Amino acid sequence: MIEINDLHKRYGEVEVLRGISMTVERGEVAVLLGPSGGGKSTLLRTINGLETFEQGKITVAQSLELTPAAFSHKNDAALLNIRQQVGMVFQQFNLFPHLSVLDNVTIAPRTVLHKLKAQADVEALELLKRVGLDHKAHVSPTTLSGGQQQRVAIARALAMRPKAILFDEPTSALDPRMTAEVVSVMADLAKEGQTMIVVTHGMGFARSVAHTVYVMAEGRIAEKGPPQQIFEDPQQEVTRAFVSEAKKG
Amino acid sequence: MKTVGCWISCPRRCFAALGMLLASVLVVVLAGTLHAQDDALKVIQERGTLRWGADAEGGGPFVFPRDDNPTLYQGFEVEIADLLAAKLNVKAEFHQGQWDKLPELLKRGDLDVVLNGYEWKPIYAERFGIPLPYYVYELQLMVRKDDERLKSWDDLKSTANGKWTIAVLGGSAAEEYLRQNYSDSVKLLVFDGNTDAMHSVELGIDGVDATLQDLPIVTYYEQRFTKLRRLGEPLAPGYYVMLTRKEDESLTRALNQALLECWQDGSIPKILRKYGMWNEIQQHRGLLTDERGNFRPDLEAEIGDAPQLVPESRFIVLLRRVPLLLQGAFITVFLSLTSMPLAVAAGLAIAVGRLYGPMWLRPPLGWYVEIIRGTPIVLQLYVIFFLLPEFGPSLPPLVAAIIGLAVNYSAYEAEIYRAGLLAIPKGQMEAALSLGMTRSLALRQIIIPQAFRLVIPPVMNDFIALFKDTAVCSVITIVELSKQYYIQAQSAGAVVELGIVTALFYMAMSYPLTILVSRMERKMAEGQR
Repeated sequence: MIEINDLHKRYGEVEVLRGISMTVERGEVAVLLGPSGGGKSTLLRTINGLETFEQGKITVAQSLELTPAAFSHKNDAALLNIRQQVGMVFQQFNLFPHLSVLDNVTIAPRTVLHKLKAQADVEALELLKRVGLDHKAHVSPTTLSGGQQQRVAIARALAMRPKAILFDEPTSALDPRMTAEVVSVMADLAKEGQTMIVVTHGMGFARSVAHTVYVMAEGRIAEKGPPQQIFEDPQQEVTRAFVSEAKKG
Repeated sequence: MKTVGCWISCPRRCFAALGMLLASVLVVVLAGTLHAQDDALKVIQERGTLRWGADAEGGGPFVFPRDDNPTLYQGFEVEIADLLAAKLNVKAEFHQGQWDKLPELLKRGDLDVVLNGYEWKPIYAERFGIPLPYYVYELQLMVRKDDERLKSWDDLKSTANGKWTIAVLGGSAAEEYLRQNYSDSVKLLVFDGNTDAMHSVELGIDGVDATLQDLPIVTYYEQRFTKLRRLGEPLAPGYYVMLTRKEDESLTRALNQALLECWQDGSIPKILRKYGMWNEIQQHRGLLTDERGNFRPDLEAEIGDAPQLVPESRFIVLLRRVPLLLQGAFITVFLSLTSMPLAVAAGLAIAVGRLYGPMWLRPPLGWYVEIIRGTPIVLQLYVIFFLLPEFGPSLPPLVAAIIGLAVNYSAYEAEIYRAGLLAIPKGQMEAALSLGMTRSLALRQIIIPQAFRLVIPPVMNDFIALFKDTAVCSVITIVELSKQYYIQAQSAGAVVELGIVTALFYMAMSYPLTILVSRMERKMAEGQR
């Protein structure tokens, strides 16, 4: 579903991604773990074209290709196509405060896919029901708790029927109870076969939901494997240190 | 010698003025009891200077900066002032003041005498001391050389081609003369400056056909306005007089004495000849004075159709002016309601262009904002109204005013919007982009609507400010509320009463806006919770 080939990115002198290659299959849940500053979020954001890169290639669904050339002119078709196919959920939710919960979910289908309002509304209510918030459809998102906002953000991403969803530390701004709400929604999505790449510090999610765990450090993938291997039998020093640190924390 | 009137520079301060009025009434009462004999002349001679007021902006031949040293002034009035001061054994001291405000400066006590082409009018005689006239002027009509439609004064009576438009100086005798005699066939365009009025005829701004000016002004400026010619003989003679405070009788009498001496020894005729202003009619100066030493023209014999003094109830006089103020208020509202939406739209476009537009567009937009913000709105209106016609279209005053206000405010709105756009968190754009929106779609659907809500309070604040800024449009002949107030207060001598009415009008216009703003702010606060 998502194929990344030898991706390099630098901020001035500092190379933050140093040759990342990975493949995420359809229906796979990939979790990116690792110490802060290791490049996890940056990698996620490059997949969606929110960050540029200097070298390498990202392929989505075999046909959509993103290369450094796409950033030379804005509104490039490749960028738009990929973003329509790949949804994103942010740490800070980034809901649109001037729109109701329902409109937050329907705005992209209506304005990007030109769906009729009635059609978009019906679908959105369905999605809000899935995240347990259909009763909040007509309130302002600013009146919701963090966990509720993040569930709306997930519904908003789903409304575009994305082939994959990127989660950028979706629970880092939430307390444990709200984290549980959001994780349970994400686990349901995984069960339904939604392709996901998740950057997280939540070991519970990585352990119980992930198919593959990638440990990133210093711009490289240090180790990759099923969660069992990563948590019980880590092969790399970086992984061992990170996992034991995480267990303590 | 005590200050009787109180001048308010802007209607907003009218309540303070009301307090001053009460205070000054007390002063008048005290002054009346304590000073049976005025000592104005004594005060001036002890001070050693005669403070005379004029507006150098009015220009030649009256008072204007010297070419060799622009910090000094020349003009026939400068020389007459020097001459008269010398006769009183003091030095003349020039005080600059805006022309139509000079009588109020005199009343305030900032001046001893106004000497600046003021024409004798009953309304001045009522309020001020008036020494003998120092010049007899006539009115001269001027048209474009290439304009053959007007051949004589009689043509002005015909409205076959619609009303004629004639440019005049606001509050001048020319304005009054045309109003009284040609109101059916002539539309007046009122300017703040003589040369502006003449310039407007040359350019044909807003269909101006002619200008009616005091003869000395025509004589002096003829060479500069080469596209204009005189039409018909000069007519409607009147008197240039000085104004003093009514209670300063000793000064009025001393000035009469000085004028007569200067006339007899030939020094005043000499000055008039020097400026090309001497003509036969100067021999027919009126010399009548009343028992207080004030000049009284022999109305029957000398100024045939001058307005008569008909005593009327002051209340009626004032009441008659309220509809005019209302009319001015309407213009104020109209200008604000048309220019503000334009300013907001342009400001938004500029702000978006500066933040999200193509790289080559950003610096010019930044310059635009800096240039517009860095120059006064009066200058911008001047450029649009007087300079633009040299290269491009000549805009009617109302259109020029709307554009001028919109351009001026667009720069401020642009900065407000820029701040508003910058205040929207980066995550909003990222979230919109991640949903597959283009940047422009994200701007329209997500960023601008949020910025719009954010800037409502400052924009509405500017809107209220714009209401009052419409007053500057008087430089391009727009008579809105403030200008109408100055005109009416001046001619009715009712600075305070009409000031209060004007202030009430302004508050009636801005208060609903204030309520609207606070309501919007409350609503926004609820939305953000």
